[in-house]
Amino acid sequence: MLIKLTGGRVYDPAHGINGKIMDIYARDGRIVERALDGERVDQEYNLAGKVVMAGAIDMHTHIGGGKVNIARTLLPEDHRGDPVPHSDLCRAGCGHAVPSTYITGYRYAEMGYTAGFEPAVLPMNARQAHLEMGDTPIIDKGGYAMLGSDDMLLRMMSANADQNAINDYVAWTIHASQAIGIKVVNAGGISAFKFNQRMLNLDEQNSFYQITPRDVLQRLARAVHELGVPHPLHVHGNNLGVPGNMQTTLNTIAGVEGYPLHLTHIQFHSYGTEGDRKFSSGAAEIAAAINKNKNISADVGQVLFGQTVTASGDNMVQFRNASHASPNKWVCMDIECDAGCGVVPFKYKDQNFVNALQWAIGLEIFLLVDDPWRIFLTTDHPNGAPFTSYPHLIRLLMDKTFRNEMFSRISPDAQAMSTLGSIEREYSLYEIAIMTRAGAAKLVGLHDRGHLGIGAGADITVYTDNADREAMFKRPDYVFKDGQLVVEDGQVVKVTWGATHVVKPEFDRSIEQTIAKYYDKYHTVNMKHVKVTDQQIADDGRGHVQVHACEGRREKTA
Amino acid sequence: MSALTLTLKAPLTQRVDCSPLTPDFLAGKSLSEIASIALHSGNRKLRVDALFDLTGDDSSNIIIQNSSAKLDFLGSKMQSGSLTVHGDAGSYLGFQMKKGEITVHGNAHAYAASGMAGGIMHVNGNVGDYLAAAIPGDRKGMKGGTVIITGNAGDRAGDQMRRGIVLIEGNAGAYCASRMLAGTIGVLGSVGDYAGFGMRRGTLLLFQTPKLHATLQDCGSHTLPYLKLMFKAFQALPSRFAAIDNTRVRRYAGDLACDGKGEILVFG
Repeated sequence: MLIKLTGGRVYDPAHGINGKIMDIYARDGRIVERALDGERVDQEYNLAGKVVMAGAIDMHTHIGGGKVNIARTLLPEDHRGDPVPHSDLCRAGCGHAVPSTYITGYRYAEMGYTAGFEPAVLPMNARQAHLEMGDTPIIDKGGYAMLGSDDMLLRMMSANADQNAINDYVAWTIHASQAIGIKVVNAGGISAFKFNQRMLNLDEQNSFYQITPRDVLQRLARAVHELGVPHPLHVHGNNLGVPGNMQTTLNTIAGVEGYPLHLTHIQFHSYGTEGDRKFSSGAAEIAAAINKNKNISADVGQVLFGQTVTASGDNMVQFRNASHASPNKWVCMDIECDAGCGVVPFKYKDQNFVNALQWAIGLEIFLLVDDPWRIFLTTDHPNGAPFTSYPHLIRLLMDKTFRNEMFSRISPDAQAMSTLGSIEREYSLYEIAIMTRAGAAKLVGLHDRGHLGIGAGADITVYTDNADREAMFKRPDYVFKDGQLVVEDGQVVKVTWGATHVVKPEFDRSIEQTIAKYYDKYHTVNMKHVKVTDQQIADDGRGHVQVHACEGRREKTA
Repeated sequence: MSALTLTLKAPLTQRVDCSPLTPDFLAGKSLSEIASIALHSGNRKLRVDALFDLTGDDSSNIIIQNSSAKLDFLGSKMQSGSLTVHGDAGSYLGFQMKKGEITVHGNAHAYAASGMAGGIMHVNGNVGDYLAAAIPGDRKGMKGGTVIITGNAGDRAGDQMRRGIVLIEGNAGAYCASRMLAGTIGVLGSVGDYAGFGMRRGTLLLFQTPKLHATLQDCGSHTLPYLKLMFKAFQALPSRFAAIDNTRVRRYAGDLACDGKGEILVFG
């Protein structure tokens, strides 16, 4: 099966292609250079005047795992309020902030996204996460396994274990959870919460283990780097949402001693304490630090106004914010004595000083970080806003007039505290393609996604150029997933099943003896049953595991 | 202008979500536009004119003829106008209704007036369980407005009710006013077991001596002058409650297992 996309304007930053008119061929799901001599083109699409990009990749979106299901259970009104009936092709479902799995897949595809990565796969809950992602159609999936507050690691660290042992444990965790990276949430803080600590600064000790978040970050960042995992340590920092946490973030950046680090939803970690209300934007300082430290990347976690729900492993923060729950109900819980979880519904309001400033801080960070290869477009779905608001966010970044008009409508006190109105920058289509495609693929370690080079998976999105970028990105003309036309004119026309992307770093298998003993002694489940196998992901014939190389961070796309 | 009348064509086999059929949503729409509105029915969507014959043009005054107990969410989120139902209404009648008037000449099913915040609902018949209660997942039931039921109510009437008045002229089932947060419920007939179970605040007016459980405390007989004001307010209502004028009650406080600030007033 050979398809030809003729005459589209192509944006492929991985190969430096910026709006060049060119043809693209894809044979059996892979992009090829040209048709063989005498080969018949099965389908040709005339894309004259259209914009062609690789399928977009959301590198941080909560689409699977325990806390998403808890959020669904907690918010029946979210589901009642947004029912989706089935069609001949698609299943029924529901949900605005936390849509059901099938609807998540359809909506991502209908926006031109072809991959999404769940950032908090608790090893103990990995099976649940993969089951949910296995029910998410069309898009590719993957997850970052969560470490940093688990007792096994903290015990090893307090016993001053050798870095090699920690590397082995980290690699085992990636294998067992079928993950593509490692995430740390409030390093050591989820554990500290259980010992009645309600705050944990970067250099403050966990009162039981006598270990600081700085130690945890250094150990894990080094482990991830030494194992050659392409995705740098994915860090949800300490003190999320606390005014003045900008300093914690700057210290974190300085504290990893040059190891690659990805700071996630950095908007929530960029707050100062200036002004009458002791809450101000730290965007300028944070952006300067990211610009200066090339080992650091970040995604923004933009806040957009409206009803959503915050779901996080960081129960320390969620417990602190529980009083802001709207509607007034929340959950904070331990999960299998291995980590925690907090779900707090939230309504961001444009006339609320704090929410409005959060909105402005996110946009300031987007616009002040110079290198689009190291800053990523997320709302930390669903924490800042549901992923369906991405087209709106893209318009805010690409259209200064629109942005300033929105800015003029937020709380006047917040306007006075923000420099957003004076920032002239507008993102170009090329930069958006970096942020949402090439850069994201490079960051996650996907060698054959996020670009349109020869051999890449034929995940391609075609838009009609439109000055209203929200309308443009909301409704792609065509979306191809692995060479198959899955969306036409913003509607799903074919349901396919994507791959689960993982890495499998080498490690010394003898660590399993230690881990097995630990599970036997302390856990409710046997170690064998925690491990998710390739077969279990592929079992129902709808998914498969795609392993990516662990060769350290890829610098150039092949 | 004549009332917009929707006459159900044939008996239903599947439930239909009628939430779009409110005066607010239909305002300004032509008959053909209304006819083409899709209603959820199980796992399908049906056009309005596939289910109903449409006549009339005044969408602020909607009449459902030949109604069925399978028509759910009638008057849902209604904010103005009136809705008259001839025949039975399904579940969730007047769900989260804010203003306006709903009249049913027939019975209504479960969760009538759930989440209702204002307006008036008059059911000339019986209602099912969970009258004025919160649906699962919600923290509050009815939040305002007036509900008059001329027949009986099922179990859990007023469960987690927060504000407003519910007047039941017949009997109420078990767990009447359970987990009530505030508001007023009156029952002219009998109530089932466990009236006021988990009641935190609010008032339950009873006219027959109930069987109460252990954590409702008898506080003796009183003459409460404020009741005069309340019954005066009832005088304008099209209900048998309008004729009541009595200030002598036996008062029970409870549920003492909760806050215990609720009261059950039994008129002698």
